[in-house]
Amino acid sequence: MTTTIDPTLHTAALAALEAGLNRTLDLSPQSKPGLTRLEDCVFALHCTAPTLDIYLHPGAQGIRLASTHHGPVTTSIKGEASDFTELATSRDPTATLINGGLELDGDSAPLIALQQVLATLDIDWEAPLVSTLGDVAGHQLAQTLRRTFSWGKQASAGLTRQLEEFVHEEARVSPPQLEVEDFYRDLHELELRVDRLQSRAERLQQRLRKTRS
Amino acid sequence: MNDKETTHFGYKEVEKDAKADMVADVFHSVAARYDLMNDLMSGGIHRIWKRFTIELSGVRKKNAVLDIAGGTGDLAARFAQIVGPEGRVVLADINDSMLQVGRDKLLDQGRQGNIEFVQADAQFLPFPDDSFDCVTIAFGLRNVTDINLALRSMLRVLKPGGRLLVLEFSKPQNSLLSKAYDAYSFRVLPVMGRLVTNDSESYQYLAESIRKHPDQGTLKGMMEDAGFCQCEYHNMTGGVVALHRGIKA
Repeated sequence: MTTTIDPTLHTAALAALEAGLNRTLDLSPQSKPGLTRLEDCVFALHCTAPTLDIYLHPGAQGIRLASTHHGPVTTSIKGEASDFTELATSRDPTATLINGGLELDGDSAPLIALQQVLATLDIDWEAPLVSTLGDVAGHQLAQTLRRTFSWGKQASAGLTRQLEEFVHEEARVSPPQLEVEDFYRDLHELELRVDRLQSRAERLQQRLRKTRS
Repeated sequence: MNDKETTHFGYKEVEKDAKADMVADVFHSVAARYDLMNDLMSGGIHRIWKRFTIELSGVRKKNAVLDIAGGTGDLAARFAQIVGPEGRVVLADINDSMLQVGRDKLLDQGRQGNIEFVQADAQFLPFPDDSFDCVTIAFGLRNVTDINLALRSMLRVLKPGGRLLVLEFSKPQNSLLSKAYDAYSFRVLPVMGRLVTNDSESYQYLAESIRKHPDQGTLKGMMEDAGFCQCEYHNMTGGVVALHRGIKA
C-alpha cells in the first residue's frame, strides 16, 4: 500500500470541491475563454499545513482537480493554506507571489492568469433562477439579488470610508495617512541634516588636528 | 469420468468452457438497470472509486486508452474527455447487452469521434501489440474465466511504459467491516436485486464471485507473474475495493 489515508475520502473531497468550483464557473461564462487559454497547463499546489497536494487542470469544460499527476507541471507552488488563500484573493497576485510565503517553481505567468480568472468571477444568477422558477419570477428575483448585492457593495465601501474618517479625524485614535507621510518625510529630512552636520563636525575636527600638528 | 477443466462460478464449480456463457447470462439480465443498481448497492461510492482510478491512470491528451469490461462507459466517458479529439478510447466488453447500453449512453451524452466500441474477450484482446498507453478494467476481472491469461493479454496490448489499472472488489482489512460487508452482500444485495431487476440470483453470484476473487496480495503477485513491474495496490473504503496498478517495462 502506498497511501495511509483511505483514497476514498480525499477523492470524495476533491470531487465535491471540483463540482462546486465548476458550478460556479458555469455561472460566470466570461471565465471560460480564460480557462481555455490555459488548457495545456497543469498547476501543482503543495500545501504544507495541512499536508495536501492538489493538481489543477484547467480547460474549456472548467477545472479538473486531482490528487496525483504523472508528467510535467507548468507551475508548482508550495506554502501553507493561508498563503494560498491570500494569493487567491489578492488584487495584486504578482506582489503576493514575491512578498508572500509561497515558494514558486516554474512559469508564473499562467498562474497569474489563472488567479485573475478566479478572482474576477462575475456570477450570473439569472440563468439558473430562470431555469428553476421560470422567466418572470426568475428575472425579478435576479434583479432583486443584483440590487441587493450592489447596495451591499456600496454600503460596505461607504461604511469603511466613514469608519476610517471617524478613527482618523473625529476620535484621533490613529493619525491620518497624509499626516503620517508628512511626519516620515520630516523625519527623513532631519536624518539627512544630522548626517550632514556629523560629517561637517568630522571635517572640522580633522582641520583642527592638522592646525595643532 | 469427466476430465474437463473446471473453474468457479460464484461458489459453484463449473466447466471452464461454460463460465463465459453463464457470466454473459448474468449481465444480459442486469444490463438495463446496471447503473441504477451500482448506485443503489454502493450508495454512489463507485463513482469515487472510478474517479481515483482515472487520477492514478495518468492518462493525458492524445493517449490511447482501452477500457475492458467497460460496461456502461463511466470510465470511457471521462477518458474521452481527457484524451481529447487527438486521443483514442476503446470501450470493450464481452457482453453485447452491456456494450449496447454503454454505447447508447455515451452517444446520448454527445460523446463520439474519439470513442470506439468493441465486443472483445479480455483473454484474447483483438488489438495489435503495444497499442495502448493505458488499459483499465473496473469490476470485470473477477468474471473472466482465466485471470492469468487476461493479464498476459493486457500486457501484450500495452505500449512499453503503459499502465494497467485493475479496479475490483477485494478483502476488507478490518474484521468488523468484513462481517458487516458479508451480511450486506449475502442478505441485502440479493433482495435489492430482486426488487430492482427482478433477479436475485445475479446478485447472489455477484456476492459469491467477490469472495472467490483473489485478495490484494495474491492479485499483485499474479500481475507480477504476468510480467508487470512496479506493481502496487491502494485499498479503498477499508479494502472493500482495491485498485491495482502495474507498468509494462
